[in-house]
Formats: sequence, structure tokens, C-alpha cells
Amino acid sequence: MDLQPDLLTATLGIVVIRLDDDLTVTEVHGEIDDLAPGHDIRETMPVLYGLEEALAGPDVDIAMPLIQTGRNNDEPVSLHIRRDPETGGLWLFRRDVSEESAIHRQLVQNHNSLSLAQAELVKARDAAREADRTKTAFLANVSHELRTPLHVIIGGASILSKTGERRPDPSEVVEYATDIHESGILLLQLVDDLIDLSRSETGDLTLYEESCDLCTIVAGIVSLCRDLPEARGTRIDSDIPDERVGLTGDARRLKQVLLNLISNALKAVNGLAEAKVTVTVDPDGPRLIVADNGAGMTAEDLAIARQPFGQPRAAVRAKGAGLGLAIVHRLVALHGGDLVIETAPNEGLTAIVTFDPARARPAS
Amino acid sequence: MKTYKIVVLGDFGVGKTSLIRRYVLDEFSEAYRATIGVHIYKHLDSLEGDDLEVSLVVWDIEGAPLPGEQTRRYIVGASGAVIVGDLTRDDPFPAMWQAADMFEEALPGRPLCLALNKSDIASVKSPETVKRMARRYDCSVFETSARTGDAVNTMFRALARSILSLGL
Repeated sequence: MDLQPDLLTATLGIVVIRLDDDLTVTEVHGEIDDLAPGHDIRETMPVLYGLEEALAGPDVDIAMPLIQTGRNNDEPVSLHIRRDPETGGLWLFRRDVSEESAIHRQLVQNHNSLSLAQAELVKARDAAREADRTKTAFLANVSHELRTPLHVIIGGASILSKTGERRPDPSEVVEYATDIHESGILLLQLVDDLIDLSRSETGDLTLYEESCDLCTIVAGIVSLCRDLPEARGTRIDSDIPDERVGLTGDARRLKQVLLNLISNALKAVNGLAEAKVTVTVDPDGPRLIVADNGAGMTAEDLAIARQPFGQPRAAVRAKGAGLGLAIVHRLVALHGGDLVIETAPNEGLTAIVTFDPARARPAS
Repeated sequence: MKTYKIVVLGDFGVGKTSLIRRYVLDEFSEAYRATIGVHIYKHLDSLEGDDLEVSLVVWDIEGAPLPGEQTRRYIVGASGAVIVGDLTRDDPFPAMWQAADMFEEALPGRPLCLALNKSDIASVKSPETVKRMARRYDCSVFETSARTGDAVNTMFRALARSILSLGL
């Protein structure tokens, strides 16, 4: 190798360093801080640690085009190490590549920033598409749930309005009037649920908080549910502490949570078995547990049931738009609580509402 | 004291530089600044419990979804590797598989570990894939956060212990 280190240094600004096989510096051509003959090159250029084996070979030719060095990684250099075939010595060529690296940096920075931004845009687009699909499905479900009772009302009213020979007899009048009344209540319930759901989505569902007693709430709602027509044949038990279980919350909304959970349990057991409501006070906070020994459901069906209008495929098709559980979930969250559902096919379902212990307080 | 070379590999923007700077300098910046080429950090660390000091040179290598020829050259002589993925991405694993495969092919038997980074804002979406990777490379997996520092030192020290235990 006809190497002229001083010429390379003078014309191209390349620092040329000659090394022993143990990586000790023997010659330095050009200016470089903290390096002189006798030094271990790795102390100044730690990039060479780990390369000892590769540098021990007979045909060393290692190029590292862009290494950031210096205390703040702000001194871009290219390194090239070759073995002189004639003398067997190692030569290291160090070149300042500040200018090239500045251009390279700009290109890489722009490319990476654009790619990351593009990935975010794709995510946002997919989320918007999903939201649009959900909205369309939601509207279709609302339309469907509105049409059924409306058809009953319109059809019933039409029959009741007939005169003369086509006028319904008194027993039919009662039947049609009852259907119209029940459908009206169903519609009102649906509209109320939709308003609750909408307000919870927009953050406008406000709690009117007060000091409540969970035991009183449970006792009242369980008593009410026992009188419901759909509870016929189903035993509804309750297990509540003798002492009051105080909770800061919205009593009306807590009753709604419990009513929805018991209502779901009644649909699940379908008048054939039993449901039980329990109140406990655990270190994690007050708990409200509603369990049934009905058909239960798969994890997949449970995920569907948690969604607004979700109707699990395997579940018994019952009255209701499938909004109850979604509303319960939101109301519990508004109370700083957590809703956990444990279920499996043919093993019933247990809904466990755990309230934030900070909300527990002596009931007044 | 022997100094060991550790390479940190992964796609761009996953937080390789942030992890290293958290480990070496105990600092973090929200700003994204692409690494070009290689940044070199020298760090002397103590392995708690073992009463050992270890000298590391950590190579912060320019990120890419597919490691190129230059990356293959940069990993020469490495005693171990950290393969980094970003938990906020839909699928951080393809780039991690690529990097881990390349490292194992180039330096068979050298230890590596997986860093699932940004754990302060996202969680693992595919635990099965993580288990499969851990089995495939016989390596530890760490859910790290360069922002909070969670599991960062633990991960680098675990890798250092693996390197020492192999007597590299």
C-alpha cells in the first residue's frame, strides 16, 4: 500500500492513525483531541470495543460511514480501518462528515416524521371509518327498535277506531288498549335509554350525588322486581348487611343500575330459576353483586352484550333493545366504580359492581 | 475490565435512543430526533446483588423496519442486543422478528432481550406473539417506558448479566 498519511491529512483533512495489533496507537497524522502514540485507541473511539476479533484477521477492511462520537454525539465521522498487506499494520482513517451528515439527517428526519405522521393518519382514518360504521349500525338498530312498538300502536289504534260491524268487541278493546299502553311504555323506556346513552357519550350525564344507603336501595328495588310480571316463577333473594352501607352517589342512577342488572338476570333465567342480589363491604370498596343461575354466555356473547344494542346470539331473545348493560357500565364508571361480569355457558352470570372506597361513607 | 458491546435494534421511532439515554444519562425528551448512522454511548454500571461492575458500549443504530446491510456490519462483535418495539403501534412485531432474526443469524448464541417500549401509554395487544418470540429466542421480555424509566435499567442489567454468565 503506497500510503501517504500526511498527504491525505493535508489535502482531504483525513486523520490517519496507525495501530498495533493490540490497538495501541503508534502514529497520528492530523489533529485529534486526546490521542497520542501509546494510547489505547478504544478509549478515544469506544466504537472499536467488540471489534477486536474482527481487527485481528489478515484482511481487515471495515467501513463505518457514519458514527456519531463526542460527548454529546455531535461529531459525525466516518471510520475506515484496513490492514496494510505489506507491513501488516492497521491503519485507521477518520474523516469529518459533518456536512454530509447534516443532509442525511434532514432526509432521514423528514422521511421518518412523514412515515410516523402517515401511520397516525391511517389510524385516525380507520377510527373514523369504524365510528361511521358504528353510527350507521346504531341508527339501523334504533329504527328497528322504534318500528316494532310503533307498528303495534298504529295497528291497534287502527282496529280500535273501526265502527259499525267491524268494531272490536269489549274484550278485544281491552287487549288492544293494553298492547298500545305496553308499546308506549317500551318506546318511552327506549327513548329514556337513548337519552342516557347519548348524554353519557357526550359527558353530559350528570350525577346528583348525595349520601345513599346501598341496603335501602337494594331492598326497595328487589321488592319492586318481585312484583314484575317477568319475575313470575323466579325467586329473587337478597343478602344485605344489617348495618347501613353508605355510599356517595346518585340514588336514582344507582337504582337504575340495579334494576337493569336484575332485569337482565330475569331475562336470563326466563322465569325458571333464581336470582340473588348481595351487598358486601370489602377493602376494595362497597360491592353490589347480582347473580343468576340462568343460561350464562360465552366471552364472545358477553362482549356483544356490553355494546349498545348488543344482543348475544346464544342468549334467549327477550324484550329490550340491548342498551341496559351499556348504560349500567357507563353509570358505574361515572360513580368511579368497576363492573366485572363472570359468566360461562350454562353456569349463570354474576355481575359485580365495585365502588371506589373513597365513596364509602356512613349513610345519613 | 473488559468492555462489552451491546447493540440496540428496531424500527425507527420506537424509542431506541430514548431507552439508551434513560439508561446512560437518566434523561428523557419528548422531541423526536432521528438517529442517523450510529450513536455510541459508553457506560459503566453496577450490577446490584452481584457486587460487579460492568463496562458497556451501547450502539444506538439508525432505525429501519427492515435491517439493511449496513446494520449487519454495525452489529459485528456485539456481545448482546436489545430488540425494541413500540407498543402504541398496531403491530410492532414484524420489525422485531426481522431484527432478532438478523442478530441471531449473525451472532448465534449471543443473548438478546425484547423491549416493548412506551408501556406508559399502551399495553401488549398480542401476548401470544410475545410468548412465541420469547420462546423462539430464549430471551426475556421487558415492558419498558423510557419516559418513566420503568424496567429500563432492569433490562440493560439483565442483558449484562446474561453476557457475563456466558463468559463472553
